Amino acid sequence: MDSTNFTQLQRRVRLAYEFGRLRRALLGVTPVVVIVAVAAYVTHQPISTLWFGLATVFVGAAMLWYGRDPQKAVLPGIAAGLVPLVLALCANHMQACGGDGCSSLCLPACALGGVVAGLAVASVGNQRKAGALFWVSASALALLTGAMGCTCAGSSGVLGLGVAFGAGMVPGLLRRAFGGNAT
Amino acid sequence: MQTESNTLDALMARLADGDRAVFDRVFELLWGPVHRLCITLLKNDADAADAAQEAMQKILDRVSDYDRSRPARPWAMAIAAWECRTLSRKHARRREVDGAEHDRAGEHQEESVIQRNLTAAAIATLGELSEADRETLIATFWDEAASVSGATLRKRRERALDRLRKAFRRLYGLD
Repeated sequence: MDSTNFTQLQRRVRLAYEFGRLRRALLGVTPVVVIVAVAAYVTHQPISTLWFGLATVFVGAAMLWYGRDPQKAVLPGIAAGLVPLVLALCANHMQACGGDGCSSLCLPACALGGVVAGLAVASVGNQRKAGALFWVSASALALLTGAMGCTCAGSSGVLGLGVAFGAGMVPGLLRRAFGGNAT
Repeated sequence: MQTESNTLDALMARLADGDRAVFDRVFELLWGPVHRLCITLLKNDADAADAAQEAMQKILDRVSDYDRSRPARPWAMAIAAWECRTLSRKHARRREVDGAEHDRAGEHQEESVIQRNLTAAAIATLGELSEADRETLIATFWDEAASVSGATLRKRRERALDRLRKAFRRLYGLD
């Protein structure tokens, strides 16, 4: 086989490799599609949930296709994001009523879920001694997954989730930075 | 050869993880053995080249499914052997269609056809076996590194050969 044919074959095989990874990635995000569908069905703001869901599916598939640290971050990221998502979806159907009237529990649920998700991602990252790419990828997916539910409080819900998530990550980041001396 | 096999295992694991930097090296390490295996099985350079190219595409397409606990080379060779079997079957079907032409062929050609049919039958029978059996037999007859050695390999080989014989008997009614 001459060098031109060999290079062409190599290119063809490389394409097959990338398509193989893409196929696997699309198969891998199927459960996320189910989560998005359920979230969109349960929430009162299906359009914004679908937008965040679409972003979650797209980012998740891209990470699975890329491989390495981002691929390893998909499962912990989605799992951590499920906490604020489920809490927010439940809070969406509940109200806290007092003397002044009733108020939605959505924002507190997003904040609480965000802190738990941040703690979870940081804990997994530290446990695996993962690189920065893992932390960024897992955080992005956790935030996108959680945001599907936190749209119940509008942009303030998503913002609250982000701030709480960041706060939840602080202990883990400190531990990473100072080698386990900080708590 | 053992070192090369270990290198391939490590590189294959990295490629399965998505490390594209090792793609060219994996390709280089696999192409030679895959091509040689296809030549041995198909006894025809052009067919072997076609089958080897198809096999390389299949191997690298499925590399993400590669099980790191097993050696990469027999795994890749099993896929290549399957690809050769597919091509061989395709050609056997074509030969059946052109049967009349073959009747007119000389004695030498007849022998070569018999040899080819036998090879095709052997490859087809190999395809009836489980992946583990195929891997064991390929490791035995093409001198590839198997995932086990010594007494375990001998036992596995014995069992795989027994199953190969039974499958051949079931498919063709003779040993």
